[in-house]
Amino acid sequence: MAAPLSKEGPQRIVSLNLCADQIIARLVPKERIASVTFLAAEPHSSTVSDLVKGVSTNQGLAEEVAGLDPDLVLAGRYTARGAVGFLERHGSSVVDLDVSESFAETRTQILDIAKAAGVEERGVALVDEMDRKLAENVDTVAARKPRAMMLGPNGFATSYGPLVDEMLSRAGLINIAAELGAEGRASIPLEAAILGKLDMLIVDSGERTGPALAQEVLAHPAVRALKHGVLVVELPSNLWTCAGPQLTDAVALLADARRRWERETLEQVKP
Amino acid sequence: MTRSNLALTGPLALAALSLAIVSAAIGYTPLDLGKAMSDVLSGADSLERIVFVELRLPRAILGLAVGFSLGITGAAMQGLLRNPLADPGVVGVSSGAALGAVIAFYSGLSQGLELALPLGGILGAALTAGAVFWMGGRGTSTAALILAGIALSSLAGAMSALALNLSPNPYAALEIIFWLMGSLNDRSLTHVYLALPLMVVGWVLMLRSAHALDALSLGEDTASSLGFNLSAVRLNLVAGAALSVGSAVAVTGAIGFVGLIVPHLLRPFVGHRPGRLLLVSGFGGAVLTLAADIGVRIVPIEPELKLGVVTALVGAPFLFSLLWRLKREA
Repeated sequence: MAAPLSKEGPQRIVSLNLCADQIIARLVPKERIASVTFLAAEPHSSTVSDLVKGVSTNQGLAEEVAGLDPDLVLAGRYTARGAVGFLERHGSSVVDLDVSESFAETRTQILDIAKAAGVEERGVALVDEMDRKLAENVDTVAARKPRAMMLGPNGFATSYGPLVDEMLSRAGLINIAAELGAEGRASIPLEAAILGKLDMLIVDSGERTGPALAQEVLAHPAVRALKHGVLVVELPSNLWTCAGPQLTDAVALLADARRRWERETLEQVKP
Repeated sequence: MTRSNLALTGPLALAALSLAIVSAAIGYTPLDLGKAMSDVLSGADSLERIVFVELRLPRAILGLAVGFSLGITGAAMQGLLRNPLADPGVVGVSSGAALGAVIAFYSGLSQGLELALPLGGILGAALTAGAVFWMGGRGTSTAALILAGIALSSLAGAMSALALNLSPNPYAALEIIFWLMGSLNDRSLTHVYLALPLMVVGWVLMLRSAHALDALSLGEDTASSLGFNLSAVRLNLVAGAALSVGSAVAVTGAIGFVGLIVPHLLRPFVGHRPGRLLLVSGFGGAVLTLAADIGVRIVPIEPELKLGVVTALVGAPFLFSLLWRLKREA
């Protein structure tokens, strides 16, 4: 991915948010980025670890980035607020990113960041590329869509948010989390998920960095037993935890899985 | 067993068993129990069977066994230390067990050897219980015992937090709440196999010391003159407490106050005989824990309340009233 080596616009960009990291790294060459979050450098949480190789990293603390004299600061609306306040008081220009709730909002967000970084054309190109990739996955939808659910760390989350809903529906899947989470639950109990008449189970296949109870649930005997009857799809968490261009790769991966499911169910019907 | 004791143990055991059945029957979603049972019996592979066998059953069994462990250990510790405030939670044994289990789990040790999880809990519980009994065994005052308990449990809590912070897994740091508050959510039969046998050994060790506890209530000298080997009795009880609480906490986290409340409520009914109190406190603890666990699934609070939150809401006022009574008697 060749980014234009523009000498115009901010030259010491600091990002305090993983989602912003993944957008800015695709927009400008790393020479113009002064600091990204430590997560951006870790391949299991970031899709741009190769693009930001060598860029210094921060943990969202004011002290780490103040000395870099940033001319543009990218931050999440709800994260690293202490550092953001400090930088604003000292005259840095700050772009706050809202939590994106749809592909449309993600598109706007990319364009906003591109504008702030002075690379509007590059932003438009990136968004067009997203649209093109998404269009590739719109194909004739079969008579029945597979019923799918995401199983992440800490169990079955309903509302990883509307963005994940949209991701699944763009891939041609029904997210049954919505119907199970009708009562506004933060997460779906394991037993509700098992009885939810699933066709496809999407599991987080992020790299493990040491044991945690949150991930122990993925190995629960009940989940293992459930996996026998349904199509299990592995989706790396770095593709979907952040709104950004990488979402299109997640959609492509899920759409592939849907086609595989359609073939398999058709074969069973034919005999 | 005397008739009066049987009259109390019977109904309590029955209540515990009924609550375990209720616990398995209720859940987050309606489950066709008839189909689940017939699939279990016929060995058919169905989703109903998975939910019942892999989720509901371990939850009910662990509620029963962990509650029993906490209740009986509370009674045993109160008897041995002859101190009404000796409870695995108050004196830091549960926190020590949590620390041991945290180290065994997050270091990856229990991934290689599953038994390391309960063994870590037992080791942590044994060290803290040993420290408490060493202090309490020398005729310490209630205040000194409580202070030692505060020191031990804050130290163990802080060390657990440290161990979780050192874990490279980003989810680990948030999991301190499970270890400090306890929960039966999403436990599996594996946890039952790991912890239950060790808990049962602990129960037996404590129950075998029942007569010695009765004798001890007359004073150490009297107990010795009655022919009890006091150091053997102490060792039995500390080992029993560590085995039961250590393996319980390792699979469900530290659920507080059960071991404090239950023996107190039941003591008048067994004629204040600490030996008799053991078995009834076990069943009483099971009743309380199962009731609390049924409660957290019925109240519409999401994410689910930790079990220790419920027992503390009941237990902390109880502890206050107990201290108040002790103060007035003093």
